[in-house]
Amino acid sequence: MTELERALVALGNELDFPEAPDLWPGVAGRLQRRRRLRPLVVAIALAALAVGVAFAVPPARSAILKFFHVGSVSVERVQTLPPARTQPFATGLGPPRTSPTLKLPAGLRATRYYKGPGMAAALLRYRGRQLLYARLTGDQMGFAKKFVGPTTHVEEVRLGEWGIWFDGGTHVLQWEFGSVQTRLAGNVLLWLDQGVTFRLEGPLDKVRMLALARQITR
Amino acid sequence: MVGRPLDEPELIRRAQRGDTHAYEELVHAYQGIAFRTAYVIARNAGDAEEAAQDGFVKAWRALGRFREGAPFRPWLLRIVANEASNRRRSAGRRASLAVRAATEEPSGGAAPSPEAALLSAEQRAALLAAVDTLPDEQRDVVALRYFLDLSEEDVAETLGIPRGTVKSRTARALERLRESYD
Repeated sequence: MTELERALVALGNELDFPEAPDLWPGVAGRLQRRRRLRPLVVAIALAALAVGVAFAVPPARSAILKFFHVGSVSVERVQTLPPARTQPFATGLGPPRTSPTLKLPAGLRATRYYKGPGMAAALLRYRGRQLLYARLTGDQMGFAKKFVGPTTHVEEVRLGEWGIWFDGGTHVLQWEFGSVQTRLAGNVLLWLDQGVTFRLEGPLDKVRMLALARQITR
Repeated sequence: MVGRPLDEPELIRRAQRGDTHAYEELVHAYQGIAFRTAYVIARNAGDAEEAAQDGFVKAWRALGRFREGAPFRPWLLRIVANEASNRRRSAGRRASLAVRAATEEPSGGAAPSPEAALLSAEQRAALLAAVDTLPDEQRDVVALRYFLDLSEEDVAETLGIPRGTVKSRTARALERLRESYD
């Protein structure tokens, strides 16, 4: 490298570059804009239908559009997600159990099991990915809570009595078993079948997640 | 997502399958260099941000055509650089890069780095002014090669020109700059 080239490198090191902004929120918003419009309308309509009776009083109507529940899991759409970070799937589920806490379909392997009041869960290996499968009994709302941001894609799916698929922008999950534990969550399938709430989370696309869910609750 | 951090090829594969979380990681990994690339071409922070954002959106849509095993960074930077060039053309202005930090004395009496010691404040200003007078095609090559420290190969890929053209543009630019620097 010549002296002039070294001088150019030195000049580059001292240039006043503006700080790079976080581009992801803008990028994510644009990626999701078209995808989320229709399913969101469906989800909001279903949400309104599902909780409409409970919230029939006029002052509560505005809340219906922002809040619904699938079995034991409450879902709230918010403009800004509460603070949370990526944590292991099992965060908040208590210590792992050595013996099975729920029944798995043939061919599915669990690496850990968890149990709490009204909750049984397992960490699964499925198609080389780690997934969290949880089964929630009881119908109390707020057993687990999801905060869904503007970039989260929310879509109704045909599964059990009612199923909802979440992907796109991350959302925030709060388990409320004893102490409240909050973490970021990715792709999630949530469905209600015969009074039991089922939840699958992990890096699978919708088609694969639905296939697995149908194995679980067929 | 849990466990070990995913490597880039895996993130790309996941993003190609529509996994926006994987793409988010790629955006965070490359937004710094993408923004700087856009900035040295567009020379305006607002345009650079838009160009980089547009670049990432277009890259997402084009991921299906990304060749597995190819280097991701120059492929992405090419899209971003193209966006930045378009903005520069539409803006019709010719802004300059700034060396505000370089004109200040190091704080705390710290010794300047060996590279910084190469240039006096006057030389920095003169050299930057000389870079600014280069034709855009030469200025882009100089900025990417020396200011952003991209390899010759990456500059070629980023600007969508053959490596030989990078060499010849660099040589012509250095020849002109040498007159100001010597």
